[in-house]
Amino acid sequence: MMDFSRRAMMLGGLSAGLIGMPAMGASLPKRGGSIRVATQSVSTADTLDPAKGALSTDYVRHYMLYSGLTRIGHDLLAHLSLAERLESADRITWHVALRRGVHFHHGGELTSADVVFSLLRHKDPKLGSKMASIAGQFVDVRADGRYGVTIRLSGPNADLPAMLAQSHFLIVRHGADRPDGNGTGPFRLADFKPGIRTVVVRNPDYWVPGRPYLDRIELIAIPDEVSRVNALLAGDVQLVNAVAPHSTRRVEASPTHAIATAPSALYSNLITRMDRLPSGNPDFIAALKHLIDRPLVKRALFRGYATIGNDQPIPPFHPYYNPAIPQTALDLDRAKWHVQRGGLQNVRLPIFCGPAVEGSVDMASVLQEYGARVGLDLAITRVPSDGYWSTHWMRHPLSFGSTNPRPTADLIFSLFYKSDAAWNETGWKNPRFDQLLLAARGETNEANRKAMYGEMQQIVHDRCGSIIPVFISLIDGHDRRLQGLNPLPMGGLMGYQFAEHVWWAA
Amino acid sequence: MKRSISLLVGALTRAPLATRVAAGFVGFWLVLAVGGPWVAPHPVGAFVDQDVFSGLSARLWLGSDYLGRDVFSRLLYGARYTVFLGLGAALLAACCGTALALWATLSGGAIDEVISRLMDTLISIPSKILALVLVAACGSSLPLLLLICALTYVPGNFRIARALAMNLAALDFVAAARARGERKFAIALHEVLPNMVHPLLADLGLRFVFVVLLLSGLSFLGLGVQPPYADLGSLVRENISGLTEGAPAILAPALAIAVLTVGTNLLIDALKPEDKR
Amino acid sequence: MSGAKTGKASLWPMLIRRVGSALLTLLLVSMVIFAIAGLLPGDAAQEALGQSATPEQVAALRHEMGLDQPAPVRYAHWLSGMVRGDAGQSLVAGMPVGAIIAERLPNTLMLAGMTAVLAVPLALVMGITAAIRRGTWIDRAINLASLSMVALPEFLVATVGVLIFSVKLMWLPSIAMVSAEASWSDTLRSCALPILSLTVVVVAQMARMTRAAIADQLDRPYVEMARLKGASLSRVVLGHVLPNCLGPIVNAMALSLSYLMGGAIIVETIFNFPGLASLMVNAVTSRDMPLLQACAMIFCSAYLLLMLVADMVALLANPRLRAQ
Repeated sequence: MMDFSRRAMMLGGLSAGLIGMPAMGASLPKRGGSIRVATQSVSTADTLDPAKGALSTDYVRHYMLYSGLTRIGHDLLAHLSLAERLESADRITWHVALRRGVHFHHGGELTSADVVFSLLRHKDPKLGSKMASIAGQFVDVRADGRYGVTIRLSGPNADLPAMLAQSHFLIVRHGADRPDGNGTGPFRLADFKPGIRTVVVRNPDYWVPGRPYLDRIELIAIPDEVSRVNALLAGDVQLVNAVAPHSTRRVEASPTHAIATAPSALYSNLITRMDRLPSGNPDFIAALKHLIDRPLVKRALFRGYATIGNDQPIPPFHPYYNPAIPQTALDLDRAKWHVQRGGLQNVRLPIFCGPAVEGSVDMASVLQEYGARVGLDLAITRVPSDGYWSTHWMRHPLSFGSTNPRPTADLIFSLFYKSDAAWNETGWKNPRFDQLLLAARGETNEANRKAMYGEMQQIVHDRCGSIIPVFISLIDGHDRRLQGLNPLPMGGLMGYQFAEHVWWAA
Repeated sequence: MKRSISLLVGALTRAPLATRVAAGFVGFWLVLAVGGPWVAPHPVGAFVDQDVFSGLSARLWLGSDYLGRDVFSRLLYGARYTVFLGLGAALLAACCGTALALWATLSGGAIDEVISRLMDTLISIPSKILALVLVAACGSSLPLLLLICALTYVPGNFRIARALAMNLAALDFVAAARARGERKFAIALHEVLPNMVHPLLADLGLRFVFVVLLLSGLSFLGLGVQPPYADLGSLVRENISGLTEGAPAILAPALAIAVLTVGTNLLIDALKPEDKR
Repeated sequence: MSGAKTGKASLWPMLIRRVGSALLTLLLVSMVIFAIAGLLPGDAAQEALGQSATPEQVAALRHEMGLDQPAPVRYAHWLSGMVRGDAGQSLVAGMPVGAIIAERLPNTLMLAGMTAVLAVPLALVMGITAAIRRGTWIDRAINLASLSMVALPEFLVATVGVLIFSVKLMWLPSIAMVSAEASWSDTLRSCALPILSLTVVVVAQMARMTRAAIADQLDRPYVEMARLKGASLSRVVLGHVLPNCLGPIVNAMALSLSYLMGGAIIVETIFNFPGLASLMVNAVTSRDMPLLQACAMIFCSAYLLLMLVADMVALLANPRLRAQ
């Protein structure tokens, strides 16, 4: 309980204004300027509805137009945003006190009705919210006066503030069944053409005084990486995300451009289905884990823009990381020993990979090359991005998956490693792991909680067939005149929230 | 077969130097396509260099690629896919297209209409999008790639062959053959086809180039040959980030494609009687 | 050939017949598209909801989109709408297909049109010059130039263009920024590189077919006759040979130009050009059937129109075909 009150106090104490600390060596913030930003994903399904956001372009657009109750800071903890207070005594029932005097772009003050509407709409299956399963935890959301909201969860969850910071839970206007960009965010919508571009202009009535700095942002998407970097270097765009590690040299060679990079929890993992053979054979999994030349993957595939992984999803810079787990390394003798013990000589198995999963084709090449040396015949089967997630991911004995950073350790374990999770990629079942996961949600002692997450990491590392060679760093490229960009591990472009923090120093 | 070889040899010995050079290039690529993998110094997927995009050296003749693999070895393997897929698909497309065109022209009426509509249907679906759908639905494999490339160029060949055949069919000697009561097949084989060969050969050469380029286009969209193997176009594509530094990893396969396609076309040009003076 | 037998009295019956067969082709295309799109794994509901979908959500969305009906019913529904001139509602964008197309069709037409304006005269000049100077170094130079133009992958040509003209020299934009408020000169400037790249791609085939078709005629007796009468070779080519072999030439041109619509996908990708080809790829990946069908219909119509023009030109130019 002691620990919790500390957390509650911290949540109440930090103001949103402190989050976007100016990057080192930057000049003082300055008003004005117009930039064009290019992200890597585009589709006719581009949307103004935060609940339906699916691609990086959507997240950026939504953070420009709307604000959320909370936001994730550089310390990877949740901070208050539209909520002035967010408190709970039992971690089941949460009380939100809203900031007053916040106005929507089309007029009207932000009230509890807007928040109740914004949170409850995720529960309507017809809406198609990406957060439907998480919103299932909201048993009840009701207004408590004009500026108060009470959220009751189905069970204790200390991570609610972090969950609410996701772009999908940004606040839209009460009754907006199809949100049209009318939010309380730093920018107002000027033009929106799905699959082509979004133009926003500065919201002079933004509730954070002095912000934002830029007058206008045009958001486009250039899916081809080489073209995206070329557009940056040619001066046609001033900020891009998802620069390939191979391209960083080019950007750095330009005197007028720079790279902004942050280690992140993003990973591409090799999934071995544990409910099938031979991929479920523990010797097979152990052999594969020892066949990966992790430094080679880090060096050759990611040019050093990666953190070496240890076959469990919590990266070294995470507060709950367990440093006691020994690092698995390339060991052909050990792999050969496992292959022989498991009777796996001359096993022939396809690895499904493709451009849908970053680095997967090349990682599969690495595995195939070393596998051949210990008698495993792994055939690379590259499949198109189209339909990858619905037909190949988790559907074969060996396939690649990709997991974006999530705000909490609980989310990542619950979504991908819990026995009954829809995305239990490897199909493993570990009762001890499940038990720890549930217990950690309600655990009030922070040290105990950390120990629990530590043991979960150990179990995944030892038993699970999710092979994580490296965590992939996020790389943005920008014009040097664009300042204030301070990368966040949660996603490229400052966790997609750069818009209100950056300024143009020309 | 013997006749065509002797024709080829005959044409070559009488051909100007440039043509012989072209023939030399094409022969060189054919030999490489057949024997390349045996002389490759490294396995196609081996990581042999710490550095990526390194330059020419005694150990790695053409430097290393974006992952530190040997470009020379990958090129030798890649030639096989490009040459055989390109040749196979171009020949298949030309044979089917021309045969259908002759059939349609000489039959006329409903048959012509049906074949023409089917060809129109096939051609008006953009080839790369058709490939995208087929690969997503059936999974990528060499026969499928061959089929997609051939399918893509059947209608084009058909259109050109039909236009040529229609022009010829309107000429007196075909009408005379008809009047003599010769059978359709005989007319097609003896009267029409020989007079279409030259433009069609030029077309075949270009189709080969197009198949090679379509393959590289498909690899651009991630639909090409399965890794660790790669056709020449895929080699260009996967190393495109080395373009700014002028890495041999991209220049070598690009040059290889150019030499192969230009050589093929020069050779085909040379086999035409009009250039024999 | 049956159409040609009607004689030169009137082109109308032929035109009417062509429109009929065009409609038949469109129907065939729509059926093929519907059939092969049915082979694709997943549907619009699954793709829209992505990885995180729950079964209830998928079922609800499927119902909303009408995907719970059997395929023939969906096809009939789409077809009856199409006959009434209604392309339907996009499944994923939540707006009419017509509106989405209207946004992009002018872009694609502009790109294809500008490329044609540049490429066709260039190809004709190259092809005719090469044919007239048959066997000389000019012929060889043109031949080699046109071959080299197609000898490089499209994406490499485009990328090299960007590196030189945008990144190094900074003369031209690296991405095509087409919008309603941009001026004509701005639009032209930002489309210069896509137009040049596409020209490189299509010009060689057209030039080579032109040369081949003309060269094929040069050995005919009538050319010799005309030469004996004292006419210069260029006059013979332009006055007598060209009309005679216009059929194959126009055919080759029409084929190459039809590539500019749906085949521009790589150029559209590299220059981020908001055209129809990338829209169609998008429709495939999102399984947006009405949008996919609409794109296919447009590409097919464009192709048929080009072919019709080509055939009309061939018919008008070749007296033999007309008189038969």
